[in-house]
Amino acid sequence: MLPELLQGVDTGGLLVIQDSASYSGRHLLQSFINAALNREEAVHVLGFEVSEEELKDGLRGSPVQRLHFHNAYTDPLGWTDHPAFTVHQFCLGELTRLVKQTSHSKPATLVIDSLSWILRHVSTPDVCRTLQQLRKGGAVRSIIGLLHADMHQRGTVGSVCHSATSVITVEPAMRGDEAVAKITKRSKSGKVIQDEEIFRIKDDLTVVVQSKSSKGAKKADSEEQETDPTANLTFNLRLSDTEREAKQKLALPFVFSKEKKTALLHSGPGSGRIHYEPDANDDYDQEDPDDDLDV
Amino acid sequence: MYTELNSILNTTPDSFTQGEFVLLSDRQSDASFLIHHFLSLYLRARCKVCFVGLVQSFNHYSAISQRLGVSLTQAKEKGQLVFLEGQKESLSVLIPQENDTGSQAMDFLRDPSVGLKNLYEFVRSAVSSNGEEGGDGSEEWGPPVLLVDDLSVLLSLGVSAGAVLDFSHYCRAIVCSQLQGNVVMLVRCDGEGEEDEGDDEGSERLMKGLTHQCSLTLHVQGLPTGYCRDIHGQVEVCWRRRQGDGQYTQKKLFQYKVHDKGASFFAPGTSSAVL
Repeated sequence: MLPELLQGVDTGGLLVIQDSASYSGRHLLQSFINAALNREEAVHVLGFEVSEEELKDGLRGSPVQRLHFHNAYTDPLGWTDHPAFTVHQFCLGELTRLVKQTSHSKPATLVIDSLSWILRHVSTPDVCRTLQQLRKGGAVRSIIGLLHADMHQRGTVGSVCHSATSVITVEPAMRGDEAVAKITKRSKSGKVIQDEEIFRIKDDLTVVVQSKSSKGAKKADSEEQETDPTANLTFNLRLSDTEREAKQKLALPFVFSKEKKTALLHSGPGSGRIHYEPDANDDYDQEDPDDDLDV
Repeated sequence: MYTELNSILNTTPDSFTQGEFVLLSDRQSDASFLIHHFLSLYLRARCKVCFVGLVQSFNHYSAISQRLGVSLTQAKEKGQLVFLEGQKESLSVLIPQENDTGSQAMDFLRDPSVGLKNLYEFVRSAVSSNGEEGGDGSEEWGPPVLLVDDLSVLLSLGVSAGAVLDFSHYCRAIVCSQLQGNVVMLVRCDGEGEEDEGDDEGSERLMKGLTHQCSLTLHVQGLPTGYCRDIHGQVEVCWRRRQGDGQYTQKKLFQYKVHDKGASFFAPGTSSAVL
């Protein structure tokens, strides 16, 4: 699923990469930028959280001549005299103007790094409306936005994700350089596909999908169970005919056979006997226990 | 300056990574010993240092730095250190004197809703005035460094977490990106745990926002097993940028003990008191 998304978001699509403090989604975002640049698409980056140098440093080896960086990093609130782009300019008109500044035949991809910065200063409905207008407006082909989900209330995150066509949630995986991506994709027909993958980002920003996460792992488990557990045993589970005969012949010590019984009941000659001769003491009357007393 | 911590972070006064945003944080513990480490480290590295000290007085920082072998008074006189003493400044804002020429930096105290723009202006003028001190043979200083002790105080003074994040963003933009210097900020979290969102939402949100901005975090916690005389707590060091070996985030856990004139760091379970 992840490689599919990397090959290009549908026209008019909005892809949201959700991350948290424990794993940054920016590297995946850079992979998306890299993939778009390699497809010879124009990419406009609206950078609130990274400087141009930092971004281009991360994109070493990519064809950056089609990358247009709009600097909202140095002065997003207009605290200095000459802000390049402030957060309050985040509206359809301004963004269309920015993207149209550079003339390309193909509509471009707009990358927003990050939506969290905008959501801190612009109300959620306004952000969602602008995103929706941009998708329908035709100036941009698709939008990719980074969202730090742990910075906002659940409702805000929900609103933004509902207006997205695809949502990728990244989380750290067990192994150091790997991460888990939970992907929700809504196709135009209304079908929703969900998937979970473990991926790794190589140095050249290509994404390698290691395995289908949990679901895939479960499948692998069941396959393992089907294999014969008696395959490599150190002992023999089956008996040959002679072995079975020998086994049946053997009398087990706790089985009480007929021979054993007679041997126990009829004692042979020379065995001990008990002779009993009653004496006076044995003549004991139950009803008169004091019978022997001379009273 | 703790040499053991330097070797963990792979820094020395002569060579350190520029353009880094270091976040120091603590939860139910005290990370201020790390602030003293970074203060003495950057002063020894001959950086131009701007220190925003909101928690303690100048004398406090000066006394500790003296023990670590750095004189703050001298550094201040030489123009290497610009020290904002939050306690004194706030007094002059709250009780204005007639002949007061104090800076505007702490203006947010009167109306916290205006944000920290003036504090940023103070930082900007402090870090930008590198080597422009005039003709009296002032020395050339290295890349600028901003230290803040600590950001949580701003929350207590009524500034919203969002405004503090704006401030730290601007500081990062000018110091780390524009001037290739370093920023070290301390933030405290008093909440019980990371899931605890109810009563202390501001500091949690601030910490998460800063974690997204920074490139290196040092998170100080008490020992999970409770107080111990020989181990004072544990530090989680987390590098969040691309390192040389291609790994994105790398985490290491150390236990530490703060001594009179330094601190020792060791792998968990290898305290000299245990072995």
